[in-house]
Amino acid sequence: MANIAAKRIKREFKEVMKSEEVAGGTIKLELVNDSWTELQGEIAGPPDTPYEGGTFLLEIKVPETYPFNPPKIRFMTKIWHPNVSSVTGAICLDILKDQWAAALTLRTVLLSIQALLSAAEPNDPQDAVVAKQYREDIQLFNLTARHWTNAYAGGPTVIWEFNQKVQVLQDMGVDEDQARVALSTFDWGLERATEHLFS
Amino acid sequence: MGFEIKRFQGDVDEELICPICSGVLEDPLQAPACEHAFCRACITEWISRQPTCPVDRQAVTASQLRPVPRILRNLLSRLCTSCDNAPHGCNAVLKLDSLASHLVECEYNPKRPMPCEAGCGLVIPKDELAEHNCVRELRALIATHQGKLNDYEQELAEQRLVINEHKRELALLKEFMRAMRLSNPSMRALADQMEREEVVRWANSLARARVTRWGGMISTPDDVLQMMIKRSLSESGCPPHIIDDLMENCHERRWPPGLSSLETRQNNRRLYEKYVCKRVPGKQAVLVLHCDNTHVDEHMMVEPGLVMIFAHGIE
Repeated sequence: MANIAAKRIKREFKEVMKSEEVAGGTIKLELVNDSWTELQGEIAGPPDTPYEGGTFLLEIKVPETYPFNPPKIRFMTKIWHPNVSSVTGAICLDILKDQWAAALTLRTVLLSIQALLSAAEPNDPQDAVVAKQYREDIQLFNLTARHWTNAYAGGPTVIWEFNQKVQVLQDMGVDEDQARVALSTFDWGLERATEHLFS
Repeated sequence: MGFEIKRFQGDVDEELICPICSGVLEDPLQAPACEHAFCRACITEWISRQPTCPVDRQAVTASQLRPVPRILRNLLSRLCTSCDNAPHGCNAVLKLDSLASHLVECEYNPKRPMPCEAGCGLVIPKDELAEHNCVRELRALIATHQGKLNDYEQELAEQRLVINEHKRELALLKEFMRAMRLSNPSMRALADQMEREEVVRWANSLARARVTRWGGMISTPDDVLQMMIKRSLSESGCPPHIIDDLMENCHERRWPPGLSSLETRQNNRRLYEKYVCKRVPGKQAVLVLHCDNTHVDEHMMVEPGLVMIFAHGIE
């Protein structure tokens, strides 16, 4: 790995470790290998959002050309958010693409992703299905996001109605994740989700 | 790319750190409006990808970058750092502005060039001296030279081909000109001029010859002898439009009145000793070209010149 990238990542790693966010438990950072090319980030769902109480893992890959190119970051924890793919975890965030600046650090990037959870950008979506629900029925979106936070990120709020519907599909032999995606996509309409899954 | 921050004594102020490489600023430049400072190498690399300030994304181009203020340079130059060769045992602690001059002469530099004392005369980085083997190094040197030599030889062969190609084209061109001359009188004058000049050029390229024994002259050479002389003329670059005429003039039946018989030759010996003779390369033969011998009487000369073949006596 290029010297400059390793040097930066080491320094940024220390910066994150010393930061008040780590002290307050809202972000975390861990090394995945010894070469400083892969890290794992963790952000807490921000308060007063459907993600509150959840813990979201992020895969961070540092390119050879860092900091001249941005780190590659995706959600490893499944999340229902207009700017994150509900399938791959890919994030649509300008600073991870064309608005990257070399002075940004892992800490500022993690904080930006956390901020994205508080302030979605439905007009620049990564996941069109989620964004549509966000625009058309924000209450249902909030419930769905909260349910996903409970199911995947350890969030505290259990929504029994959604759990039951997932269970119904599971009893038909559908994979749990597939069932949840189908139900979320069809606004928790059990019939349409079933039709979609078995057509 | 900046200096490793761990090399410095004490804390380094955050303002002296490059936001790109996170090292201490090296040869810094600053953005014009926001005045953010970066190492020259770092900001140049960044701007080649994206013409913005890496801190606040204001538009910046490479030509707008400015040197940093004197106060920042002074603060940097006062920082105390260890030598680059500290891992190799150098204990020097230096002001940043004297680091460069120290590095030039630092004895601990593992790459300091040292002459080999075993006699091969090569200059080798210090850390490679222990592993150095004169024979192996010199063999490698020979191998690289051999490689170059082969390359040059190949190139030479290719160039020869090209030259031959050019020669062929030139011959065609001359052929073409001859054809043109036949159909156009002014072209003819021009072509005549060019041909005369070609003969002069060729004549000047030949060495002067001295005939020591005019009596060795073969005035009636046979066909084989004529063929040999002709080939030699051709190889010396004789312009093709005169070669046949010249060869015709190697026999006494075509020689001018002053030379045409043994008797006249004996009478005119005084005259033909004034000939300016040119050597037919490698042969006991001389060329007496008209262009070289404008000073001799007309009854001693023919166009375009004479070929005189001898049994011996040419120097």
